[in-house]
Amino acid sequence: MVTTLGEAPVAIKIQGLYAAYQRHPVLENINLQFPAGKWTAIVGPNGAGKSTLFHVLTGSMAPLRGSVKAFDEPIKAHRKAGHIAYMAQREAIEWDFPVSVWDTVMGGRYGHMRHDALWRRLLPSRWYHPSHAQAVKEALEAVDMLGLAERPIGALSGGQKKRVLLARTLAQQANILLLDEPLAGVDPPSERLILNVLAREREAGRTVIMVTHDMPGARRHVDHVVLINRFIRGVGTPDEMLSDAKLAELAVSSTEQTSTDRPGGEASSFVTAQGKVTWQN
Amino acid sequence: MAELMEAFSQFGDALVSGLIAGLMVIVNLLPGSISDAFQYAFMQRALLTSVLVGAICGILSCYVVLKRWSLLGDAISHAVLPGVAIAYLLGWPFFIGAFITGALTSVGIGAIERHTRIKSDAAMGLMFTGAFALGIVIISKIASSTHLMHILFGNVLGVQQSALLLTLVASIIALLAVWLAYRPLLLYAFDPQQAQALGFNTSVIHYGLILLLTLTIVASLETVGIILVVAMLITPGATAHLLTDRFKTMMLISVGVGVSSAVIGLWLSVVLDVASGGTIVLVATSWFFIALLFSPKHGILLRQWRRWRMSA
Repeated sequence: MVTTLGEAPVAIKIQGLYAAYQRHPVLENINLQFPAGKWTAIVGPNGAGKSTLFHVLTGSMAPLRGSVKAFDEPIKAHRKAGHIAYMAQREAIEWDFPVSVWDTVMGGRYGHMRHDALWRRLLPSRWYHPSHAQAVKEALEAVDMLGLAERPIGALSGGQKKRVLLARTLAQQANILLLDEPLAGVDPPSERLILNVLAREREAGRTVIMVTHDMPGARRHVDHVVLINRFIRGVGTPDEMLSDAKLAELAVSSTEQTSTDRPGGEASSFVTAQGKVTWQN
Repeated sequence: MAELMEAFSQFGDALVSGLIAGLMVIVNLLPGSISDAFQYAFMQRALLTSVLVGAICGILSCYVVLKRWSLLGDAISHAVLPGVAIAYLLGWPFFIGAFITGALTSVGIGAIERHTRIKSDAAMGLMFTGAFALGIVIISKIASSTHLMHILFGNVLGVQQSALLLTLVASIIALLAVWLAYRPLLLYAFDPQQAQALGFNTSVIHYGLILLLTLTIVASLETVGIILVVAMLITPGATAHLLTDRFKTMMLISVGVGVSSAVIGLWLSVVLDVASGGTIVLVATSWFFIALLFSPKHGILLRQWRRWRMSA
């Protein structure tokens, strides 16, 4: 049975997902639905499989089993159509790379450029369709980095780098945003700015899904929280899920498995403190 | 079919003659003491080959340096040897054999890396040395040691028209590929995860880039040889990386370093009567050290000077 919280349609639906690195299981029996137009935080200890979940969603890792759909279609089609924007942890990027802030953010438009006229695709950036430059400009303005557009990315501070990566994600003008620790290693002003930008994206009707360790930020802003540690450990509102007791339980959960969570078992339904079925199988 | 091949090769010959004529216009602007060396037909063929090889190595070099593929480039270049030998044995054009074993080895490296616990540097080391050893064993049986020397160290002064045509075709393919796939290649080199998330097929890009690398190596064999070709795939890009923070500029500088090293090295080797491949690589290495010292942003001298100014 699939029950959806509220009236929101489902943006991403994950069914029976298993993922492993070199036969070492990382995610098991994941059944999740992310409601459209909502802001969801994914919380879990290090090595809990949060980034792996994103790798599966972005296609850089093939799951062992299970299906992932976006708006009831295979997610691959949505990736190709540029509907899904992804912001990786910055450790994954080669910062010495000779590109400017502007060109980095323009990278978020490369997917959309597949639909441009052939002659534009064959010519240098000056002849890109004007809509791309417009999107890049707006994205850089949103994160307050337009003034540094010509800087090489390697010359930025940690918080600035995060803002540029966020701008690249925004420039894609996707309707689903996947952000892997957008707030890690960021100075307080940048953190406020990033949270405000994401709040605005959500207001604009976009689906925001982020991995985070920032509990105060999550408590204040997000609509839903998913607790994850190899298995789904809980789904609900920030108040329900981010209580000290819940988080302590999550931290020790890595060593134990409950019977309903056992791999190959029935899809578990999660019942929250109020006794209602949440948006999960 | 034969007629088509005939027409194709005639077109190729005409193109080569045209390009050589164009280059000679530039060469003849230089003082007689330099341009005299280039009045022979074999020198003109060597010049055109060097320019082409310098250019495509310069382009590919940017990706090799930024993607940390230096060792992979070395591996592929060595793995080409058995292909050359087998092609010689079967009477095929040698580049087909080279291409096959080069590509097979790179696929083999990837497979070992992914499916065993062996790390990538060991996987490369064992695959390419194995392939190289196989090549040496086959060649020792079928050909003279002069042949082996030419393959290993290049023989740009003895480039035949057919080899020059091959280099020309390889250069055109490489240029077209980099031009048409500029953005996917750039994004893949910078941030493969992002490329994947934007719906680009990263395995196609990955293996496409490896094929391009193999093609470049094969095209450069006659000029600098198997052992030294990897220098042309690292040094121009590394030099350019010290000089700029823009990818397009890096590519232009890298091509400039590649072409100038090849041409200057060729000329010096003739004047000094030393090995061409080695001289070409030495000129490129000199460019690198000049950039290392004098680069405005990342050079040693100016950095020291700035530090001194700060403390003074």
